[in-house]
Amino acid sequence: MGQLKYGTDHDFLKVKTRKLTPFRVIIFFLLIIIAVFQIFPLIWLVDFSLAKDGDLFGPRILIWPDKPQFENYKIAMIDGKIPHYLLNSIIVNVISVSLTVLFSVTMAYAFTRMQWKFKNICFTLILLGMMIPIHATLLPNFTSFRFLGISNSYLGLIIPYIAFTLPLGTFIMTGFIKSIPRSIEESILIDGGGIFHIIFYVIFPLTKPAVITVIIMTFFTTWNDFIMAATYLTSDKFRTLPFAVYNFAGQYASRYAVQFAVMTLVALPSLILYIILNEHITKGITVGAIKG
Amino acid sequence: MRNNRKLVVLLLAMTMIICIVGGFNALAAGKVTIKFFSNLPDRTAGMGKLEQFLIDNYMKENADINIKVEALQDEPYKQKFRVYTAGNQLPDIFAVWGQPAFFNPIMSSGYAAELDPDDYKGYDFFPGSLNGFSYNGKLYGLARNTDFMVLYYNQKLFADNGVKVPETYDELITAAKAFRAKGIAPVAHNGRDSWPTNILYQDLVIKESGDQELIYKAIQQDIKFAGNEELLAAAEDLKELVDIEFFQDSFIAADYGAARNLFGQEQAAMYYMGAWESGLGSDENFSESFRNNVSAVAFPGMKGEGKGKSTDMMAWNGGGYAVSSSSAVKEEAIKLLNYIMKPENWARYAWQMGVAIPAQKYDQYMTGKESKLQIRLSEILNNATSISGTPWNDAATPGFKTDSQTIIQEFAAGMKTPQEFLEAADQAAQKAQQ
Repeated sequence: MGQLKYGTDHDFLKVKTRKLTPFRVIIFFLLIIIAVFQIFPLIWLVDFSLAKDGDLFGPRILIWPDKPQFENYKIAMIDGKIPHYLLNSIIVNVISVSLTVLFSVTMAYAFTRMQWKFKNICFTLILLGMMIPIHATLLPNFTSFRFLGISNSYLGLIIPYIAFTLPLGTFIMTGFIKSIPRSIEESILIDGGGIFHIIFYVIFPLTKPAVITVIIMTFFTTWNDFIMAATYLTSDKFRTLPFAVYNFAGQYASRYAVQFAVMTLVALPSLILYIILNEHITKGITVGAIKG
Repeated sequence: MRNNRKLVVLLLAMTMIICIVGGFNALAAGKVTIKFFSNLPDRTAGMGKLEQFLIDNYMKENADINIKVEALQDEPYKQKFRVYTAGNQLPDIFAVWGQPAFFNPIMSSGYAAELDPDDYKGYDFFPGSLNGFSYNGKLYGLARNTDFMVLYYNQKLFADNGVKVPETYDELITAAKAFRAKGIAPVAHNGRDSWPTNILYQDLVIKESGDQELIYKAIQQDIKFAGNEELLAAAEDLKELVDIEFFQDSFIAADYGAARNLFGQEQAAMYYMGAWESGLGSDENFSESFRNNVSAVAFPGMKGEGKGKSTDMMAWNGGGYAVSSSSAVKEEAIKLLNYIMKPENWARYAWQMGVAIPAQKYDQYMTGKESKLQIRLSEILNNATSISGTPWNDAATPGFKTDSQTIIQEFAAGMKTPQEFLEAADQAAQKAQQ
């Protein structure tokens, strides 16, 4: 009986899966190796975050500590002020990302669909922003922010973050909006809808994959930024997550293991966001493919 | 449609509210606020802890003073420092390095406030420790610690392998070869940072010539690097050290933590580093066996041809503080500086907490509870017959610092011969003179 059951199960599987040719075995093998290489840095990060400072940089790549140092995470949370910095990071990021998306969609719409004077000049000027390196703007921005009295506030981060992510966002969105047939918008106008209708009910849903690309791009730039935050902020009150790592940096040696714990905690939100949005991207692209 | 409009308006309103809230913070409280810019971001360990401890005490004693600390690590610190100076908006009190490459431009352009030497008569600063903080005979800053290079070593590794602790340079070479033969890295070295190699080269120059001024004369181009026998001999010594695998494998790629841990994990017998590592003997991150066996000797002097002795030390006063000349609360900032640097504050706690060797007399604060390593380092410093001053890579312009660190790294990596290294040093020095 049992044998028969195994047999049928086996047959059933055979129907479902494709034949395991040597070529497919090699492909699987290569994919596994690539996957291991991709995930290794994360394993390494978590592994080192549970070790003692003195055990790091030894002859072994991974360390098996006698006693996992969960203490590192406690120190990271308390001395690294992670909850405080996390709140700041979330406030700054949510506002920068949403405004960047809003502005880049509306601006891209204005550049592709509307007819106005100096349109092309403005578009080129916006795109030129992509060529400006962040470091060249630190000093002039610092002086202007100080003059405006916003150098020590959330706004002192939000404004430059939007300014630096907007050009690329607008560029991506214009390309996408161009591919949307005008007839859809015309039908909205015939039905009595206005410009807000077009943007929020047509453009936004149709450009979802592009919007998500812009969100991810903006999020990672602003989430990981240190140099702008270090320059424009002086008070600890508004500092964002990347500062937490530096709270454990000594003049010569640093508390490396705790820094690894901090980095694990800092990487976690980006990782979660990527996992969630990654699915959306694939979905968006396939939906578009069927429609096209 | 209306909902979406509301959303846009809401977002913009939120942005404005945050702006206003941010603006109001500056107006809070009627206290005197002193802005303190520090290069010690870790406020819970080491010198950062001591700095914060003294700042907190000062605020407790002076209720009308509020001190706002902004702390960034070295590189971000220097970057932000440039931004501050360019906008002439330096914080009231800030950390400096008493080295020409960093502090001279700041003193000469008048960013630092002049201090009154009479205030510090009872502060017992070591002779010469404030030289790097003075310009044209005027004092602009105070040194917080004395840095000097020693050879840390692991007594157990020496005893187990029957190697004699080196007292002369030849014994050092013999010891290195003996450890190599046993498959143990003789010296842990962080070649990637390049400044330790610069310092080692200067140490070798001192030991070859017995002349502390020689390398500075070459930087001034009073003599040529390439034409001098002793500078050449030191370069050849350094090449020999690389050739006999004096340093651990791939030391060129090792950074500070990697080299320090290699020594702490008892995989390297020696470690050429500054006295600021006096905490090695009590670092709970390393094994008890290591903590009990770590000791230090002065870098040995040459026998025979070399004229320098082991008591001709590579030592300088690096870190310190200065006050901004354009500060609105200059008097208060100087008072705070004077409070922090009082011998019974900085010198006493720095020694007793084992976070640094002070730049002030500290014998009176010995408690008898010091680690063996601390005592040993103290002895080495007390035996010094001459000290060098600022490491040569920091002794000229910021550009010279970059150049000298690049060429020493290329030299240590075997990309340059001793002669080529000296010629490149001449070029860098000429560039710095212009």
